[in-house]
Amino acid sequence: MRVSLEWLSDYVEYSMPPGKLADLLSLSGTAVDRVIEMGAETTGVVVGEVLEVKDHPNADKLKIAVVYDGFENHEIVCGAPNLFVGMKSAFARVGASFSGLSGGKLKGAKIRGIASDGMLCSGAELGINDDASGILELGEGTPPGTNLSDIAPTRDVIFDLEITPNRPDCMSMLGVAREVAALTGARLVPPSYECNESGSPAGDLAKVIIEDLEGCPRYSARVMTGIEIGPSPLWMQRRLVAAGLRPINNVVDITNYVLIELGQPLHAFDLDLLAENTIVVRKADFGEQITTLDGVERQLDDKTLVIADRKRPVALAGIMGGEDSEVSGDSTRILIESAHFDPTSIYLTSKRLGIRSESSSRFERGSDPEAAPHGAARAARLMNQLAGGTISRGEIDVYPRRTVPVTIDLRPSRANEILGTRMTTDEMAGILEGLEIAVEKGEKLRTTVPSFRWDLEREIDLIEEIGRIYGLDKIEEAIPVGGGLNAGLTRKQKLIGSIDDTLLAQGLSEVVVYSFMNESDLDLLRIPSYNPMRRALPVINPLTETGGVMRTTLLPGMLNTALRNTNRGNRDIAIFERGRVFLSNDPGELPEEIEVVGILLAGVRGLKNWSVETNENYDFFDLKGIMENISDVLGVSVSYKPEDRAYLAPGRSAGMFIDGDMVGVIGQLHPEIAGSYGLDGEYYFGEFMTGPLVEASRENTYKKVGRFPNVKVDIALIVEETLPASTVLEKLTDLGAELLVSARLFDVYQGNQIPGGKKSLAFALEFGSADGTLTDEQAHGELERIIKEMENGLGAELRGRINL
Amino acid sequence: MAEKERLDELTGTREDLASIKNEAFSTVESCRTQEDIEAARVKLLGKKGLITGIFKSISGAEAEEKPVIGEIGNLLRELINEGLQAKSETMAEEALVASLAENEVDVTLPGRKTALGHKHLISQVIDEIVSIFLGLGYRIETGPEVELDYYNFEALNTPVYHPARSLQDTFYIQREDPEHDNSNDILLRTHTSPVQVRVMEASSPPLYVISPGKAYRRDEIDATHAAMFFQVEGFAVDKGLNMGHLKGTLEVFVRKLFGKDRKVRFRPHFFPFTEPSAEVDVSCFACDSAGCSVCKGSGWLEILGCGMIDPNVLKYVGYDPDEFTGFAFGMGAERVAMMRYGIEDLRVLTENDLRFLRQF
Repeated sequence: MRVSLEWLSDYVEYSMPPGKLADLLSLSGTAVDRVIEMGAETTGVVVGEVLEVKDHPNADKLKIAVVYDGFENHEIVCGAPNLFVGMKSAFARVGASFSGLSGGKLKGAKIRGIASDGMLCSGAELGINDDASGILELGEGTPPGTNLSDIAPTRDVIFDLEITPNRPDCMSMLGVAREVAALTGARLVPPSYECNESGSPAGDLAKVIIEDLEGCPRYSARVMTGIEIGPSPLWMQRRLVAAGLRPINNVVDITNYVLIELGQPLHAFDLDLLAENTIVVRKADFGEQITTLDGVERQLDDKTLVIADRKRPVALAGIMGGEDSEVSGDSTRILIESAHFDPTSIYLTSKRLGIRSESSSRFERGSDPEAAPHGAARAARLMNQLAGGTISRGEIDVYPRRTVPVTIDLRPSRANEILGTRMTTDEMAGILEGLEIAVEKGEKLRTTVPSFRWDLEREIDLIEEIGRIYGLDKIEEAIPVGGGLNAGLTRKQKLIGSIDDTLLAQGLSEVVVYSFMNESDLDLLRIPSYNPMRRALPVINPLTETGGVMRTTLLPGMLNTALRNTNRGNRDIAIFERGRVFLSNDPGELPEEIEVVGILLAGVRGLKNWSVETNENYDFFDLKGIMENISDVLGVSVSYKPEDRAYLAPGRSAGMFIDGDMVGVIGQLHPEIAGSYGLDGEYYFGEFMTGPLVEASRENTYKKVGRFPNVKVDIALIVEETLPASTVLEKLTDLGAELLVSARLFDVYQGNQIPGGKKSLAFALEFGSADGTLTDEQAHGELERIIKEMENGLGAELRGRINL
Repeated sequence: MAEKERLDELTGTREDLASIKNEAFSTVESCRTQEDIEAARVKLLGKKGLITGIFKSISGAEAEEKPVIGEIGNLLRELINEGLQAKSETMAEEALVASLAENEVDVTLPGRKTALGHKHLISQVIDEIVSIFLGLGYRIETGPEVELDYYNFEALNTPVYHPARSLQDTFYIQREDPEHDNSNDILLRTHTSPVQVRVMEASSPPLYVISPGKAYRRDEIDATHAAMFFQVEGFAVDKGLNMGHLKGTLEVFVRKLFGKDRKVRFRPHFFPFTEPSAEVDVSCFACDSAGCSVCKGSGWLEILGCGMIDPNVLKYVGYDPDEFTGFAFGMGAERVAMMRYGIEDLRVLTENDLRFLRQF
């Protein structure tokens, strides 16, 4: 909402600099988003009368005009197409200053060889309106020599206000003036609604019938006759421009002016175009149509409230008028509508039809039913003054069910409890009265809310009013005690944090990706129909650039991230994301939301360094090592078994299992899948659920460490090629029981030295005991036993051993 | 050097022994390598060595000469041993210095670093915000991102047809009637506030909760709009909480986040689920409130929305608003990141260009 301070000062007698007023409004809930200094002081511009127009000897398009400025005649050169003898316009004397000169002064000049002693100005040049097509045409009653700044002040300060949805009353000059009055104590001066009536009674000229009282609780109207359509006065045009509206003609401008002034939307009908001069407020019938003022033909249905005459809809109630009852240059008899509509009905219709207007944005938030007759009267008064119209006697006001004023009880103690203040009852009553809320004092304050404050319904609403006018800055600050035992991170939250930390420590950077994907991603990834990843939840109204379904895997997002990076020259990728995937449930139920971590590796492992001869690329075991570090940090035992996925390379993918339950998958991305995302080279992708890992995590336990060194032995075992390394290692660990402190696989060999179909696995073993008394002999005895068992159990053959 | 003087005195009358002495000392002096030292030791102190010869000559000497020769031999042996020892140590030291000099490294070469990952800027901002509230006695709670209309709007005192809804362009998953809102509709939450309702339903006061998470709005994506963003929601419900507690809490928070010297102001505002409501501004840290392009000349930057939890919201979850009061606040993590680092285009946050990620 743009508020011209020049205009505002008509309604409230405040006196303070604009900056201070802006702070006051901002700190009481009417945020001043911008303060715009508009226009410039106009000096030396007066009303001038064109006495004579002559051709310019050297230019076809220019004329020479003799202008009388109330004092003497000036000969000037003028190119305006609308120049004529007898015209009154804005004449700038040499030395004048106005908006279009941006700080300079007008100089005398020779134009195509003819001296020009001043100039005639357009509205745009003076900063009055945006019309630059010709010079200003001033009305009859403006004597030459009158200072233009007396007719239309051009210097102004505009506040761009942010009006919150609960304060439709502030979408008007009067509403803002009321706020200023409440904040400063300045006197409020409402505009005059007095009508100088004459002629036939309005009720004889027009008739109003409300068929849908719910949609339209009140319809007030005034009838004007003898209207002469023409431009509105300059001061009004300038104010409308300042408010962000375009001046059109006096009747339309006046309805807009009153809309901004009172916040009461109006509509002017050409009474002669209304069948039987009758207004019927009703729901539209199916199949009815209307062409609205924006030129769009609209099909109506029985949900839409319309203003109709006896034959057809002539306006979308509260939203927009229709073309064929519009006021035109020929109109002389006018019906001014000033109604009150049900906010919900307007909200729904404007949403359904996709039209918003200055009217609908006010009605849908709630207008003041008591302001309806004021709006009609105010517009009639102005049309009488400015458009030559006669106000028919009496007002039309259909208002069968009067709105009962709202009363609210306020407990002063409760107000202090909520606000943290120690205000007295009198202080509170004073603030409320300043807001035109009537107060009856007692143990509770019994208040009656003015009709323009729709938002005040409950005690808490009054407490808010008291708080904002009192000033939030005056409320003393305190710190609450906090949640005590419940405060701080839970163990699970800390563990999730350590997953992030472990990934970061291993050189992976975190990415944040939209939670959407395309349904077609699932086809690209060749996800079979029975896989839960197919349970993608469609969004009804998606954005095309983000994808139409909720993601069921992080993979597409990570691949697109990789693609964007490789396209930008970042070819070495080590990234992770922790976020949710969504699996749909039955219709009507919320989906399952599962937090997962996705990892993607490609290109050179770690940092390239001058001291390393060749920088190696990431491979499967980098990915697995990262996963293993996470499970080590969490203290979870995760096993890996071959597991095929259509999007992973065959023979290079594994499932991650905790106690037999699969919690994730790792593997090399299938090269064809990489290709279908525009990527080439090897990509390694892993995805696991954080929940089961955190769930399985156990706190570390203390094991005594012996004072003597452990006994260290390396052994190499020859086993069948097909036997998984993990089986051998698990068997070793099982057999080792207490004394085998650690067993680490350090070499895998196949070749000349061992028979075909076999492989050699080398392990570094450490034996030790907590009391530190383990002897070499005991350790080697234990090793002999273990080797024997390995030979018997797995058909392993000892290839060699080295005591260290 | 008493031994040396005594030796010179004793050998003063014995030219033969004096020449042995001189030869011995010059042999020691001439050693250049460890091998020289060993050879000198053999030549002087070995079985057939010069000094050994001196001791051997005692038996054939005059009786009064015997003690003198013996003393000369002992002194010589002692001094030779000392001399060779010193020579050896000096050489070892010189050798070490020489070898170190030879193996000098260019200390300006880059170190051998382990690759470290970078946490996403948004996560870092959220961590920082959350940690401030953990310090104030809050706990973290989260809620679903795909949410029922009931939790996203209705239980937050935003009834059907409320104009506040038109401000929120919502992604829908399921909608009974595309023209009407319904509390069973399923949508992507437009803010993190539904967590308030869920936590209040599931537990009882005192509650001091901070809830970071994703929220979604159907905005066309551009420099200042994203369809997905991160909010941090916080709320407290307890006996006797008032606006003063809200102000105190957020003042501490804002100054911890943006610096002790920052000023904080509360502007009354409107949110459906809080009343009284306010927006919180921090004095512009780019210009210290003088007015600049960052704060668009106002001297203030808006960073938070907050208010006392509306009694209707408390009633929805079965709390007695006369017994418990509470406050709630929420902020956008992106906005904090953008203001702090002068990022003009939101989209860099979801593009995940590694050159961007590695800056933080």
